[in-house]
Amino acid sequence: MAKKRRVGVFVCHCGINISQKIDIEKLRSFAETLEGVVVSKDYKYMCSDVGATLIKDTIKDYKLDAVVIASCSPRMHEQTFRNVVLEGGVNPYRVEIVNIREQCSWSHENKDFATEKAKTLLRSGVAKARLLEPLERSKIDVVQDALVIGGGISGIQASLDLADDGFHVTLVEREPTIGGHMAQLDKTFPTLDCSSCILTPKMMEVQNHPNIELLTYAEVESVEGSIGNFSVKIKKKARYVDLDKCTGCGDCIAVCRLKDRIDNEFDFGLGKRGAIYMPFPQAIPLKCTIDDSSCLFLTRGKCGESPPCRDACGQKAIDFDQKDEVIEKKVGAIVVATGYDLLDVSALGEYSYNHSADVLSSLEMERLISSSGPTKGEITRPSDGKKPKSITYILCVGSRDVSQCSWCCRIGCMSALKQAFLLDEKFEDLEINICYNDIRAFGKGYEEFYGKIRGIGANMFRGRPSEVRVQADGQLKMDVFDTTTSKLFEVSSDMVVLVPALVPRTGADELARLLHLTQSADGFLLEAHPKLRPMDTFVGGVFVGGCCQAPKDICDSVAQASGAASRAATLLSQKELEIDPLIAAVDPDACTGCGVCIDVCPYNARSLDEIKRIAVVEGALCAGCGACIVACPSNASIHKNFTRKQLMDMVDDIV
Amino acid sequence: MAEKKTKDQKIKLALFPGCSMPTEQYGYELSVREVMPLVGIELVDLQGFSCCGEPMKSVNALMTLYLSARNIALAEKEGLDILAPCAMCHLALSDCMHVLGSDESLKKRINEKLGSEDLEYHGSAKLYHVVDLLYDVVGLEKIEELVKKPLKDISVATHYGCHLLRPTVIGRPVDAEQPKKMEEIIKICGGSAPFYPEKLDCCGGIVQFNLLESALTKTGQKLKAVKDAEFSCFVDVCPWCHKMFDARQQKAAETVAAKLDVPVLYFTQLLGLALGVDSKKLGLFLNQSPMQKFEEVF
Amino acid sequence: MTIVDLTSMSSPQVGERSEINNRLKRLQEEVSELCYQCGKCTAGCEAHKLLELEPHKIIALLKRGLVDEMLNSDIIWTCMSCFKCWQRCPQAVPPVSVLFTLKNMAVASGKEIPGSYTQMMQSLMSIGLVSDVQSVPTQDGKTVSRDDLGLPPLSKPVDAQKFQAGFMALAMEKV
Repeated sequence: MAKKRRVGVFVCHCGINISQKIDIEKLRSFAETLEGVVVSKDYKYMCSDVGATLIKDTIKDYKLDAVVIASCSPRMHEQTFRNVVLEGGVNPYRVEIVNIREQCSWSHENKDFATEKAKTLLRSGVAKARLLEPLERSKIDVVQDALVIGGGISGIQASLDLADDGFHVTLVEREPTIGGHMAQLDKTFPTLDCSSCILTPKMMEVQNHPNIELLTYAEVESVEGSIGNFSVKIKKKARYVDLDKCTGCGDCIAVCRLKDRIDNEFDFGLGKRGAIYMPFPQAIPLKCTIDDSSCLFLTRGKCGESPPCRDACGQKAIDFDQKDEVIEKKVGAIVVATGYDLLDVSALGEYSYNHSADVLSSLEMERLISSSGPTKGEITRPSDGKKPKSITYILCVGSRDVSQCSWCCRIGCMSALKQAFLLDEKFEDLEINICYNDIRAFGKGYEEFYGKIRGIGANMFRGRPSEVRVQADGQLKMDVFDTTTSKLFEVSSDMVVLVPALVPRTGADELARLLHLTQSADGFLLEAHPKLRPMDTFVGGVFVGGCCQAPKDICDSVAQASGAASRAATLLSQKELEIDPLIAAVDPDACTGCGVCIDVCPYNARSLDEIKRIAVVEGALCAGCGACIVACPSNASIHKNFTRKQLMDMVDDIV
Repeated sequence: MAEKKTKDQKIKLALFPGCSMPTEQYGYELSVREVMPLVGIELVDLQGFSCCGEPMKSVNALMTLYLSARNIALAEKEGLDILAPCAMCHLALSDCMHVLGSDESLKKRINEKLGSEDLEYHGSAKLYHVVDLLYDVVGLEKIEELVKKPLKDISVATHYGCHLLRPTVIGRPVDAEQPKKMEEIIKICGGSAPFYPEKLDCCGGIVQFNLLESALTKTGQKLKAVKDAEFSCFVDVCPWCHKMFDARQQKAAETVAAKLDVPVLYFTQLLGLALGVDSKKLGLFLNQSPMQKFEEVF
Repeated sequence: MTIVDLTSMSSPQVGERSEINNRLKRLQEEVSELCYQCGKCTAGCEAHKLLELEPHKIIALLKRGLVDEMLNSDIIWTCMSCFKCWQRCPQAVPPVSVLFTLKNMAVASGKEIPGSYTQMMQSLMSIGLVSDVQSVPTQDGKTVSRDDLGLPPLSKPVDAQKFQAGFMALAMEKV
């Protein structure tokens, strides 16, 4: 039997937070009457330097081997106190925090009652302290490589930051090129920088960076392992083009039999492509891809006499025998940067998106505005090719709407104002109407930009139209009630632009499942703490940056992506990681090898040792959730320092 | 929603007639009674129904809930599901089921009073309107088999009516913004039902008692748009709407200073014609709008 | 601290406001507080262009507690109960339901009921339907009634007294 425990009790006043409702002296002297307690002290702020010194000195003077701290919630300072105790020479897991603030002084009005309750809590805390085991943090090696999922501006930024830090980064992008939605923009607010001009240098940097391995047209298939040690399977989809041979000359594109017959995704169908294509001229990598759902050769087995693309290719880069390839990568940290999509406005019948080619989404209009877009920057009505005389914007389409997306898209107001400005520049005499709910111009330089737009003479209506009607002559009509003048206006336009809500990219649900990531109610990936840990997730080693976590503009996306990279770098810069020892363990004598715990573990942390026929815990994966403890029919599954005996003793002392 | 039955099985439904259809809009009732047996629906007439209460909602909404609950309870007592051909009745009954389904104490309160008539509301009966009964239960396949006189060259302006379309939150039989059930039935009957921007507009019927001119303006405006778009006919599925568009068409024409001669039929009348039923049996002679003009085309 | 509407010189009628919001909650509908005055309801209101009904203003007045002003006005009787306001509201607020409640409150406080509601009520009480069997014209100038058309007998409450008892008892209560 272990020698008699020497427990020290430290009662904190927490300023007046605790001392106002609990009689500290009564509590402190009560502690000294408890079995195992050799000394009890109190201090105003136990978490301060002075408090820390008090604890360390007391440990030395009284030869303590376990410490109980009666203070605020362990969520606040458990780690701090563990460090202090360690410095004092005692195992940091022989610390028990008794919460007499949130659970006592802050919850009760009556001082006598609170003091008595604090005594009971303290007594049970001491009972546990008498039984605490000295635990050691084990170490695992960290694979000092990173994976970034998503090649938009956020993924690009995170990859560059990590690569500059010296880590090897694998950047996986689902599309044939990186660039994301930013590549589709003409100019960015509020500076009106040309989007491609600021983006393509970064895209080039990614391609040329010695530390970045760029995998485009590839998707993550599975993720195993845990922080510091992830094993990721990536499927490289067949492009039917040999990337080493293709020079991006485009000869194949010019001769494709389906040239200009397929809706180009990059232009939302406003522009066309062939079956062999490049999404846009500045694509990185500058290689062609064959779309196997439309290519005649791949879907029907033949394309005329012989596929003209293959014949035209001087480098013999076209390879119809190419297959999907699955590769495996081992990484220590993962950054998710999968971005956003616009809400599908075709589902909102009242805006007549399906009844008129001249009702567009904001990104579709962006493509028309873009000089590298399907109309080379000429604004013409998709229905008849004529120049519009009037364009109306409707903001908040599907946003702040409990039946669609309850959240604000954050960028709608600014992107609409930006487009209005660009359209005004392109025309001598264009009527621009903007139907808005509120104008949210919150960022640096945004309010000034809004001021600039107010100067172009656009008609601003403060009100949401109920519907858009397509007239017989193709004119788009809507009524909007302007609450500023309390008048109903009938607005007739040649084109209508709907500024829709932002939603997570398609496939975000599946990716979240693969990575065991939680999603918030709106479907975006959930951050560990909205204020203090916006780049961390609840899965150790996985970080988020950009719009995949919540809608935001480019500068906030870049900031968050850099932040996520920094968080990942903090992890990767350690060669070894210490594992929290407050996890599950197996009592080998009690375990019958039934395997129930293995099925129950949500972290895949348990397996069966075939030879010994007992369960085994993989420390790095175990999150200490306790499911196996409950499930085990033989009481063989134990939670270190939360053992049955420890907890029962606590309960006995309370009762 | 009931599963589609095989050809041989007949579905029995209690016909809930409401007030307007059985006391004035006889054409609707005739056509409903003609068409339903053809598509395999047996209608049961129960005694004791009262008004659904919706017209009185402005006076006392609790009374409306009570009356609707009462009628549902009557059908439930006979173990029958309900067909309510009037869109306003269908709304009242749907709303009642939605509210009482979520509020046990209100349900209890109403059941206490229903006890005096030996009735108890459960909320278990299924509720149909003509449109969803034909589309979801009978099904397009079955209807197509029964078509005898295709609606060749007939373009139909469909009018669902506000109470059939909205509000989605309590459960309506058709989509509020892009409804298509009537359109698809018309299509498989050989006709066409092209989109027109005024499709979801109101007939104005609710305010005909206190603001008749405004009601007629609404009716007239919609019919004018339908006439300008040169539809062969206009169909509706509610006796309140039909009274405005059909019986009051000339008054509406005067109110909006237009010439209107739009043939207005009940959807069941149009469908009945396609299924080969004689127009007299369908009550076309009771419609006040130009039926000859339509019958010439058809 | 007080709030006074300088047009009517009245203070908000908070009791009535609570009553209306409570009734909305009872009927599983959203309360008026959620409205952020986007005006979409008024933009689509079927009664707005002809009759100047402004559903968003009804909600705004309700939020301010200025209920009496609405009870005393004719505007609340212009609603066509098309339900577009509720259907399209981004906060699921039902101005149509608020209007029904205001109309109920106006009736209960003894104000004159416009239109033929009174006759319809009387018919409802005596035969259980808001109107009785009518004769209607035919295309060829005749008139027919229900019986002439071979339709089954009209369905109406079997025991008129029991029907009245149940329904009148409830008519006295509020939601």
